[in-house]
Amino acid sequence: METKLKRLILSAESEIQKTKTNNELLDIKAKYLGKKSEFNDLMQEMKNLPASERPLFGKLINEAKQEISNLIDKQKQIMEKAQINQRLASEAIDITMPGRQFKIGHKHILTKTIEEIEDIFIGLGYVIKEGPEIETDKYNFEMLNLPKDHPAREMQDSFYITEDLLLRTHTSPVQVRSLLENAQQLPLKIICPGVVYRKDDDDQTHSHQFMQIEALVVDEKTILADLKGTLLLVAKKLFGENREIRLRPSYFPFTEPSVEVDVSCFKCNGTGCSMCKNSGWIEILGAGMVNNNVLEACGYDSRKFQGFALGMGIERIAMLKYGIDDIRLLYTNDLRFNSQF
Amino acid sequence: MKISINWLNEYFNQQIDKLELVNKFNLMSQEVAGLSKLVDVEGLLIGHVKSLEKHPDADKLSVCQVDVKNELLQIICGAPNVAQGQKVIVAKTGVVLPGDFKIKKVKIRGIESNGMICSLAELDVQEFDVKEKGIYVLPDDAQVGEDPLKYLGLDDYVLELDLTANRSDLLSIRGVAYDTACMLDWDLNIPDVRVIREGVENPVNIYTTTRDSSTYYGQVVENIKVKDSPFWLKSRLISAGIRPINNVVDVTNYVMLEYGQPLHAFDYDKISSDRIIVREAKTGEKIVTLDGEERSLLAGDVVITDGTKPIALAGVMGGLETEIDEKSSRILLESAVFNPVKVRRTANRLNLKSESSSRFEKGIDASKTLEALNRACELLIQYANAIVIGRPSFYNTANTKDKIISLSLEKLNSIVGYTFDEETVENILTRLRFSFKNKSGEFRVKIPNRRPMESYQDLVEEIVRINGYDKIPLSIPETPTQGGLSDRQKTKRSIRSFLVNRGLNETKTYSLVNEENACKFDLKATEIIKIMNPLTQERECLRHSLLPSLTSVLSYNKSRKIEDVQIFEIGNTYFKDTETEKIAILLNGSADKSTWQKDEGQIDFYYIKGLVEALFEQLNIKNYAFGIPSVNIVNLHPGISAEIVIQGKVCGFIGKLHPEEEHEIGVKDIYVCEFETDNIYKSKGFHNTIYQEISKYPSIKRDIAILVDDGVQAQKIIDVIKINAKKTLKAVEIFDIYQDISLGSKKSIALTLEFMSADRTLETKEVDDYLEKIVSSLEEQLSAQLRK
Repeated sequence: METKLKRLILSAESEIQKTKTNNELLDIKAKYLGKKSEFNDLMQEMKNLPASERPLFGKLINEAKQEISNLIDKQKQIMEKAQINQRLASEAIDITMPGRQFKIGHKHILTKTIEEIEDIFIGLGYVIKEGPEIETDKYNFEMLNLPKDHPAREMQDSFYITEDLLLRTHTSPVQVRSLLENAQQLPLKIICPGVVYRKDDDDQTHSHQFMQIEALVVDEKTILADLKGTLLLVAKKLFGENREIRLRPSYFPFTEPSVEVDVSCFKCNGTGCSMCKNSGWIEILGAGMVNNNVLEACGYDSRKFQGFALGMGIERIAMLKYGIDDIRLLYTNDLRFNSQF
Repeated sequence: MKISINWLNEYFNQQIDKLELVNKFNLMSQEVAGLSKLVDVEGLLIGHVKSLEKHPDADKLSVCQVDVKNELLQIICGAPNVAQGQKVIVAKTGVVLPGDFKIKKVKIRGIESNGMICSLAELDVQEFDVKEKGIYVLPDDAQVGEDPLKYLGLDDYVLELDLTANRSDLLSIRGVAYDTACMLDWDLNIPDVRVIREGVENPVNIYTTTRDSSTYYGQVVENIKVKDSPFWLKSRLISAGIRPINNVVDVTNYVMLEYGQPLHAFDYDKISSDRIIVREAKTGEKIVTLDGEERSLLAGDVVITDGTKPIALAGVMGGLETEIDEKSSRILLESAVFNPVKVRRTANRLNLKSESSSRFEKGIDASKTLEALNRACELLIQYANAIVIGRPSFYNTANTKDKIISLSLEKLNSIVGYTFDEETVENILTRLRFSFKNKSGEFRVKIPNRRPMESYQDLVEEIVRINGYDKIPLSIPETPTQGGLSDRQKTKRSIRSFLVNRGLNETKTYSLVNEENACKFDLKATEIIKIMNPLTQERECLRHSLLPSLTSVLSYNKSRKIEDVQIFEIGNTYFKDTETEKIAILLNGSADKSTWQKDEGQIDFYYIKGLVEALFEQLNIKNYAFGIPSVNIVNLHPGISAEIVIQGKVCGFIGKLHPEEEHEIGVKDIYVCEFETDNIYKSKGFHNTIYQEISKYPSIKRDIAILVDDGVQAQKIIDVIKINAKKTLKAVEIFDIYQDISLGSKKSIALTLEFMSADRTLETKEVDDYLEKIVSSLEEQLSAQLRK
């Protein structure tokens, strides 16, 4: 009896393993586990056995059936897995084909530089002020201690629209406007970025249109040392933590004392190279304590108020930072240039 | 300003260390533009031409035997003026002449030459003697074997300073000497001027009728012998960049360099009267200036006259008629002060900038006018045989009183943030040679006339620079303030970021354009603003639109084979009474694409429209629309363009460039858009976003297809649907549009309508009712037919 069952299982196993399709498997299932299977015949034989042997006999048959059923299930899983593998294989793609070409846009390098400088000053508590590009002689010059026929006006050859209207030559008129606007004469800490114009022929280092950013602090206690500290901080943020600064006397009608500010060369670290013309220093901006005449013209009592102003050319900063040797590149908009930043 | 180091050295008991001087000037005074040798040659020798003979194989060459003290050199010379017995300048083999010209031992047609006999031109100082023809011949007293540059006074260094407008005192060697003495803390030797005058009365009478000349000294000097200046004087002028002319003119220039006081010399015999009247010119008056040009004058110019006609342009240039020439023997020396503004205006108008005018413009020290005149007399006696006749005639109304400026130590320290003590300030003032009184920190400082100063800030500046900027400590303004971007500024930054993230490159272009481009794309066709004094016609007008600049950028890049140009710019446009900030976008070529997948990333009207819609969505701008332009937008395709309306106000446009424009640019399918940013800033919904609960109930979608007349716009259909739907209509989307001959003049539009309720699940029946109502209103209002 047992031998018979074993033989049956072995024969089923061998047939199951040969199946390729689901239908074949179903046929085998019917053959071994269906109503006309040999197990049915064996069950018929069970009636002939003594009652005491029947349970054992039944158990053996059930176990054998279960085993065959397991074998079928197992084969079914194998077949399914093979099918999936086949499908996956057929779906494989060439992953080395190029992906979609997404366009990468770029902010203009001048915008990036301005935003960088703005963010430094915002961190120091400054707000950003803007003003018109067409200015009056009064705001662009007179209120800034540059009366008509002042020789320093020649430093800034201007584009005039009428006798009295011109394209601003610096963003300083925004300082004047902000001082006047500040009717309560509260402490003022502003930066003024913007487009300015000078009547220069365009060449490698000159542009009739360029951008400036100026900072102005006016209150009752801001000192020259504050200017120096602020300048060092800005220089380090812009050009690296190891930078030093150097102040040299200069002249601007709207500040006094006035200074030019040099930063230690970030290419050679001050040892001398072509970038710093072997001096170890690179001039980056002009600054000074606000001239009393400017404060008075804006209605501030110069015995009580004082402060500093500084101004830099964005192009110069960007050119230094990114090693650009021709200012015209900044306005040509060759996309091979613009997309580098 | 160029300064001879040799000259400067004359003011001190010790020799200046040139590099230290450069450093001091840079850090304490004025920026040094350069330090260079006056004549950049080493190793020249004075030689004596012992003998010479013709080159056997070359007519024009001489073979010279030249004694240079320790050796006799055979030198071949091609100069026609070389002769036996001459003292000459010799460059031996190995010497490098200016222009990197190295002297080598050579054979010329078989004969050896061991050096070169030099001309001044070869040493780059031809101006030393403009009459030179060929080699330069030195006087007989030149010592063989010595340095010829030293003999000529040309062995000098030149320090060049970039002067700022507040340091006109440094336009004189004496001023430079004062500053040098102060910075180095050295003693300063200022020599006295001694003039021997002959008894007779000075014959000239000087008057003025204008306030534009405060001072005028006129001195007649006789018995002049006009000739070349001595070598030392010539080399001093050359070091300052002034060409020597003759002893009289050179002396006036020398004194100008020494004192900063421009002088002028007239040939007194050519002046037709004994009167000098300084007055304002009359419009239309004319004068021929020293350069031979006839100048037309305007009222406002100041002239020196002989009582009737102008003989010089005050402070700018002398007249040709009274010019010093070789025969001049009586001269009138002028030392005067003129109104800086008037000199500047005249010099600018006539384009006659000179050493003289630039000094007058910046203001000169009126307390030294007479001394400068006397100094010139002293030199003319020495170098031009001059006899000075009596005392000068003059008028002088200049206020040359010393100015007193008060400054307390406390004020000084409260500005600088450095703790100066009384001793330091006293020391600095002493070095500046300012006399002062100090009452326990209250300084009363007498400012000498040579230093124009107005206020205590000027004095603070002096003290700080001499003390050194490196000594100032570092701090940060104490006042607490809150920094940050305004809403406007934040929005502008997000617009830029959005467009950049969508693949667009930002450009920066010029505001000044030509007239044609200035008026393009202007919806209102308003008047353009022109520059009175433009550089070129290409940069004459302020633009009304950024787009012409963007199309130029497109052309530039296309011609360099860059196919995909997607750019934008945010910038100002300029109108008579206002400046308007605009955003302009230009798209051409392909957007994000995958060519091998047959997706060319085509850019069309709906691409740029979608881009703008997405930008508005991003900025939370709700109330906008694209409308058919009420008038054609010039330069745009009339059938493929729209105006952008925000909150009922037209603020820009969008569309395809007009085919004519595209043809002109040479590029097809250019899509553009431009709008004013002001409306964006105003419409952007700041702070008004409130959370909307997400509906828990499912939505129901229904598709319909309708036939409408070809002319019915999609927006009309959507509007009708929206107006007639209840709140439950959540979205409408067009998913297909179909046109075919079989439909005649109609088109089929398929839409998906999505219905949803915030508080319950919609019944099918309900949605059917809504849909029916919508369809019937489409039928009524647009004669639409529902396709089944």
